[in-house]
Amino acid sequence: MKKSIWVFHLNTGSCNGCDIEILDALTPYFDVERFGIKLVASPRHADLVLLTGPITLKTLPMVINALRAVPRPRYVLAIGACAVGGGIWYDSYSVIGGVKEFKKILEEHNVEIDKIVFVPGCPARPEAIIYGVALLLGLVKEKVSKEVVVID
Amino acid sequence: MTLKKLLKPFKLLSIAKKAGVVTVLYPYQKPLITPEFRGKIVIDSTKCMGCGACANACPPNALLITESNEAVILSYFVGRCIFCGRCADVCPTGAISISNEFELATTNLDNLKTILVHRHRECVNCGRPFATGRILEYVLRKVPMAEKYINECPDCRKNRFINIVSIRKR
Repeated sequence: MKKSIWVFHLNTGSCNGCDIEILDALTPYFDVERFGIKLVASPRHADLVLLTGPITLKTLPMVINALRAVPRPRYVLAIGACAVGGGIWYDSYSVIGGVKEFKKILEEHNVEIDKIVFVPGCPARPEAIIYGVALLLGLVKEKVSKEVVVID
Repeated sequence: MTLKKLLKPFKLLSIAKKAGVVTVLYPYQKPLITPEFRGKIVIDSTKCMGCGACANACPPNALLITESNEAVILSYFVGRCIFCGRCADVCPTGAISISNEFELATTNLDNLKTILVHRHRECVNCGRPFATGRILEYVLRKVPMAEKYINECPDCRKNRFINIVSIRKR
């Protein structure tokens, strides 16, 4: 991506831990405008959606509407343990449980997401959020990889 | 009044000069990490014995233990981990340690998984796989006299005991 990324902050039933870390990342201490990142108030102006929370059933229709309003190419940064894998609510009755299940619901509603970057952490550090955006922009490389060890 | 208004930007400039530059150049600079910070956990595969104490203590079930006839599989999914460090507290062999790694962003969820497969050891009598080798070694370290029957499965031990008792009764 060459243009500046404008971000929209979407809370889907988060505990506000990750939201406060997002606000931290927007302060002059980290100064994300170095990368052209700017917080906007409407999803229609945004390139990237900062999605926090495990997507509760009550917020689901609003989340789908907000994501549909984002123009293509549509990017999502799933921030925090809740958004990535459901967190401690992963098998709860009132949540979707992470972006992976949510993506299937979006496909049913014909809302396509071009790229999702997962940022684990409970809450994710502001540096981790900046790292996630930098990964999306192609400034840094992925550090984690799958590990399988067989022990006799 | 107008003079005050005119001088206002210069006043701000002097305040800004006093504060200096506070911005950290994060991706190009090392982040500030305190020793108390808890990040991703690291499972030492040379020490882990697949007992499942960590999976029992894990609040979000990021550590899961699945047992089949052939093996015990310990899977760790960082995406669900809340970095509480309980697993490191309960681990009997000290295999789990807390690192300060937090740069875990990825585009593929599979990259966040760590899987340890512990193969079961087979019984010397009947050949049925029954427990992981590491657990047997651990038991042997705690109870040295167990070496007489450690390589037999629980069923074989029970049968042997029943045979001995039945001989005695006659």
